[in-house]
Amino acid sequence: MSDGLSVELAHYLSVSGIIFGIGIAVALSKRNAIAVLMGIELMLNAVNLAFIAFARLGGNFEAAGGDPLAGHVFVVFVLTVAAAEAAVALALAVLVYRRRETVDLDRITLMRW
Amino acid sequence: MLNRLPIPAQFDRIIVVGATIAVLGALPIAAVLIALLLLDELTAPEVVFWAVAALIVAGALGTVLLPNIVHAAVSLVATLLGVAGIYLLLGSEFLALVQLLVYGGGVTILLLFGLMLTRAADDPVIADGAQKPFAFGVAALIGGIFVAAVLDANWSQTDAAAIGIRDIGQRLFRDYGVPFEIASLVLLVALIGAIAIARSDQPEPEAAEAEEVTT
Amino acid sequence: MSDLNFDYALLIPEFILVGTAILIIMADLFRKELGLGRLVLPAIAALGTIAAGAASLAYIDDVDDFANVIAIDNYTTFFRVLFTVVLLVVVVSGYEYVERNIRHTGEFYALLLLSTVGAIYMAGARELLTAYISIELLSFSLYVAVSLAKTNPRSAEAGLKYVLLGGVASAMLLYGMSLIYGTAGSTQYSEIAAAFSGGTSEYGFALLLGLVLLIAGLGFKASAVPFHMWTPDAYEGAPLPITAYLSATSKAATFALLLRIFAGPLLPVIDQWQWMMATIAVMTMVGGNLIALQQTNIKRLLAYSSIGQVGYMLMAITTISDASASALLVHVAGYLITNLAVFSAVIAFHNRTGKEELDDFAGLAETNPYLAMVLTAGMFSLAGMPLLAGFVTKFILFQAAASGGYLWLATVAVIASTISLYYYLQVIRRMYLLEPARGESGRWRLSPAGYIATGTLTAGVFLVGIYAGPLFTVADRAARVLALS
Repeated sequence: MSDGLSVELAHYLSVSGIIFGIGIAVALSKRNAIAVLMGIELMLNAVNLAFIAFARLGGNFEAAGGDPLAGHVFVVFVLTVAAAEAAVALALAVLVYRRRETVDLDRITLMRW
Repeated sequence: MLNRLPIPAQFDRIIVVGATIAVLGALPIAAVLIALLLLDELTAPEVVFWAVAALIVAGALGTVLLPNIVHAAVSLVATLLGVAGIYLLLGSEFLALVQLLVYGGGVTILLLFGLMLTRAADDPVIADGAQKPFAFGVAALIGGIFVAAVLDANWSQTDAAAIGIRDIGQRLFRDYGVPFEIASLVLLVALIGAIAIARSDQPEPEAAEAEEVTT
Repeated sequence: MSDLNFDYALLIPEFILVGTAILIIMADLFRKELGLGRLVLPAIAALGTIAAGAASLAYIDDVDDFANVIAIDNYTTFFRVLFTVVLLVVVVSGYEYVERNIRHTGEFYALLLLSTVGAIYMAGARELLTAYISIELLSFSLYVAVSLAKTNPRSAEAGLKYVLLGGVASAMLLYGMSLIYGTAGSTQYSEIAAAFSGGTSEYGFALLLGLVLLIAGLGFKASAVPFHMWTPDAYEGAPLPITAYLSATSKAATFALLLRIFAGPLLPVIDQWQWMMATIAVMTMVGGNLIALQQTNIKRLLAYSSIGQVGYMLMAITTISDASASALLVHVAGYLITNLAVFSAVIAFHNRTGKEELDDFAGLAETNPYLAMVLTAGMFSLAGMPLLAGFVTKFILFQAAASGGYLWLATVAVIASTISLYYYLQVIRRMYLLEPARGESGRWRLSPAGYIATGTLTAGVFLVGIYAGPLFTVADRAARVLALS
């Protein structure tokens, strides 16, 4: 291990996995549409963390064809999409709220299985 | 129980109590980490990593456990800031700044706006559904599988130099020029969509004119 | 990385589509000032689509790529033509419906055009990042388009559920991609294939998890059981032309992407994903067709019927080979033609009656024998009756699976297909054996556009059923690009 980087790749990936799990818990357990969106943001942050950790520390990226830059660029794209997704989802939540006076997913039950 | 604490009425009790517990909980962790640093058991980056990781996980747990949705949103911000800290630790200053800008600024404010716009006066702020135990079980299972999977793999590790912003920029705008343009189309779609959806409940111009004619 | 090909001429069809979308938004803004009639926007959309489709034909037999991220080959050309045809059909058969039931027509057509660009690049991507962002372009357009219906109160709710579930699925897909990136060291399909053929044992469980997440995320987009929860709601809440579009382009694009990924970079690790794909294929075939039996709304019935069709297509991915890849392309094309024939008939029916329950189709054979004939041909083709497109395409699909060593899977598919005949017959029974509702027994006619759309598509259903040779040849040439043995 070189100096400065004695935290291992697996540590970063574990943090990322824990965040992803908690994100799923948020998305599944909350019934407010905007809270579910928060869970999705947590999951996307877990993804970004994994991408950066791989791109920075992954040993197989030094082999021929290894591409550490792609991970960094990927994160830029995920950030962009996450922001756009928040905008679209919130616009829809506001529209539903105007019609039904609620964004409670349990109460939005016009449709079922 | 919370009501009996001597807290001035203008403060939100849960936030004050929560913040106090968070600070009290953080102190021993900080003390242990600093002690290990002074004893040369841990290096400085390791201390920073464990501290930031604790912040991230605590913030995420707050998001899922706090029943009040505004508190959950504030707790989410802690996680987002912590993730920016990890990026710094990994040498990606550029992405850390973008993370602060997009998440700390944009997304958080969008979320809070959304909460304000969709909260009826009599609507409870409690956001937890009845499926909570089930959700926690599934999430714990999935999180456990994730951690087991990444620990199971035998990752080889490099100590290559950190990647500079110049390389990222060149890659982003040259090799990935087409995906970049597709991403701009995604933003265009989000823009069109947000406008079209937000205007939705206004009457159609033709319909309004027709009404004028009839009256 | 210095010898990249930046030949912008390779992307002309998409430039045309995007340009048309922007032109439509502009024309919509200045509609009053310019005194544009109601037909102008769909006309611009149709012309732009035709131009893009015609331009795609210039790339036949090209083997090229743009900056290593988008392949322009026969496979991409196949889907470019297919998607522009679908778009044209949706615009032509849907414009009356759009006029009456859609809030913002300009935005609606622009979204359709932009989503087709996303679908094309899903087929053309040769790199994970491009694939991901194209998926999002298609999905975002659909999230919005689903919620644009004017009268249906379910539309906005369907959109909200769709965007939230879609966000969770995207996150899973992304985590899968990040694990594949971490184990392979690159996002390029060719580099991933090279890395994985050198052995993956040191990554053990992590790569498997990556594959599971990738399949789950893409399974959501393709609405495979058990990731199909959004499908019936979105289909029912969406405006009818978007339902047609969801069942056609959205599914076909996901399979274009699935086939390119699983026949290329992930082929070396086939042992790790083949059993998953087989399981999902069985669940999707059986589940989709069984739940379809209980549906009473035509949109939901077609939603579950399309889920069943997805099961057959997943079977082709499971038994991946040169034969099954080309069979999959044939089946996708045949399914699109048939499904669009059914949907354009349902749209024409809705234009006249404003109804979409199965019972509303009672006595259609009396009030409009032509439309009843179109629906019958479409339903029989979906069920796989001889002389129709569905029979031929299903036959070679099942045959490819059986000769690929998956006889049991093909048997399940035949059984599921037989089950499906029952609910298609339920629709046909209502049209021919029941009396029309009181006061609605008068004959009525379709609009000219309705006749053109349903007539052409029904002719296509029969043509593919009787003389499918050319389609086989085209699909063969497209599938050969994938270089499977």
